[in-house]
Amino acid sequence: MPLEILGPMVVLGIAGIALLLHLTGQTAPMRFETEDDARRAWLREHGEDAPGTVLVAANGRAALLRLGSGALGLVTIMGADPAARYLTGASWETTTKGLRIRPPDFAAPRFDIALSEEDRAAWLALKDQTT
Amino acid sequence: MTDQLTYPDVVALAVPFFIAAILIELTWILIKRRGGRYETLDAVTSLIMGAGNVASGIILGFITFGFLMVLWELTPLDLGTSIWVIALCFVLDDLRYYWVHRFGHRIRWVWASHVNHHSSQHYNLTTALRQTWTGTFTFMMVVRAPLILLGFHPAMVLFCGGLNLIYQFWIHTEAIGRMPRWFEAVMNTPSHHRVHHGRNPRYLDANYAGVFIIWDKLFGTFVPELDEEKPDYGLVQNLGTFNPIRVAFHEWVGIFKDVVQPGITWRDRLNYCIQPPGWSHDGSRDTSEAIKAKHLERNPEDRGTAGFEGG
Ligand SMILES: [Zn+2]
Ligand SMILES: [Zn+2]
Repeated sequence: MPLEILGPMVVLGIAGIALLLHLTGQTAPMRFETEDDARRAWLREHGEDAPGTVLVAANGRAALLRLGSGALGLVTIMGADPAARYLTGASWETTTKGLRIRPPDFAAPRFDIALSEEDRAAWLALKDQTT
Repeated sequence: MTDQLTYPDVVALAVPFFIAAILIELTWILIKRRGGRYETLDAVTSLIMGAGNVASGIILGFITFGFLMVLWELTPLDLGTSIWVIALCFVLDDLRYYWVHRFGHRIRWVWASHVNHHSSQHYNLTTALRQTWTGTFTFMMVVRAPLILLGFHPAMVLFCGGLNLIYQFWIHTEAIGRMPRWFEAVMNTPSHHRVHHGRNPRYLDANYAGVFIIWDKLFGTFVPELDEEKPDYGLVQNLGTFNPIRVAFHEWVGIFKDVVQPGITWRDRLNYCIQPPGWSHDGSRDTSEAIKAKHLERNPEDRGTAGFEGG
C-alpha cells in the first residue's frame, strides 16, 4: 500500500476513533470517592505495604498515602484506572493550583495535583512528617 | 531465481479492517453495555503505538530483511514457493513466534521492547495494535535464522509473520467469551490471550502462543482462564503516563539507569540486561517467580493449581 494512502488513513482513523470515543462519553476519568478506594488502588500494585494515613484530594483524582514501611505513596488516575507510585526521591513543588510532584521515574515523570490551600498544607505536613 | 519474490505487505493492507473491527467492537460494547471497555486516552495511545510500529518497520525493516537475505545467500537449500511450503512455513514461524515471545517475557533486554504491548490496563481491539517501536534492537531476528537456512525464502517468512500478527488482532477482546471446545484446544483464543495479559500472579508468564496454543501445552506454559479469577490487565507496576515516547522507551531507560549505577559488578550490569524482568542485584525487586511465591505464602490453598504448579 502506498504511503500516500496509508498515512492519511492511519491519521484519520486515529482521529475519528478518538472523537467517537470522546463524544460517546468514554473519556471518563475515574475518581477516588473514598479513602478505601485509594487504599485498594495502592494495594493492587503494592500488596505488602499497607497504607496508614490516606489523604484524598477533594477532586478525587489523587491521594497521598503514608505506608506501613514508612515511605510515602501516591495513587493517581490514568484514564479509567488508577496507578500507584512510591514517592521516595520525588521532588515537590508548590503551584498556583496545588502541587507538582515528580518521582524519579521515566514512566511516571510528573503529577500535577489540584488541591485547596488547606489540603495542600495537609499534604505537605504529611510529607514533612515522613521525610 | 526466487530472490525477487514478493508478498503483499499484509499488515498495512489490514489497516482498514482493523479500523472497521474497532468500530464494530465499540458499538457492540456501547449497545450491550458489556463485553469490554474503552477509554479515550488509553485507546489513542494504543493506536499511536501501532502507527509507530508500522513506521519503525518502514525505517528499520531493512536491517532484519538484510540480515535474512545474507542467510538466504548462504544457504544451499530452497524449498520453493508451493502452497504446502507456505503452510509449513506458517506453522514453523508460529513456533518461532512462541519462543521470541517467551524470551520477550523472560529476558529483560527483549522485554524492554515487548513491555509496551502489555502497558494498557484495558483489553480491547486497540490493545492488539499497541506494538513495540524497538523490536529491531532486541536482535530477535536471529530466531528466524533456522527457517531461512532450511530453505524458506525471507519474504515468505516475513509474510507468515505478518499473517501471524493479523491473526492475533481479533483475540484482544472481552466481547467473546469462549470459542468451541475443539477450537480452544488447538488455537490461541480471546480466553487464552486474556490470561497472557493478566497481571494476576496466577497468570504471569503464561500463554505465549501466537496462533496455535499447542506450543504452550507442549512447553508447559499453558494456563487456562478461570471463571472465578478475572484477569487484571496491565503491568505489575502500571505506567503513570500516556506519553507515547515514554511508553515506547521507559524500560530501555530503566535498563540504562540500572546498568550505569555505581558500585555494582560487571556481572550485575550484564544481569540487569539478560535476567528476567524484576531481577535486581540486591534482591530489592520481585521477578514473576517471587510474585508467585509471595502469593502462595498468603494463599497456600492455591498451591498446585493452574499457574502455581511450580511453587
Ligand atoms: Zn506478551
Ligand atoms: Zn496481546
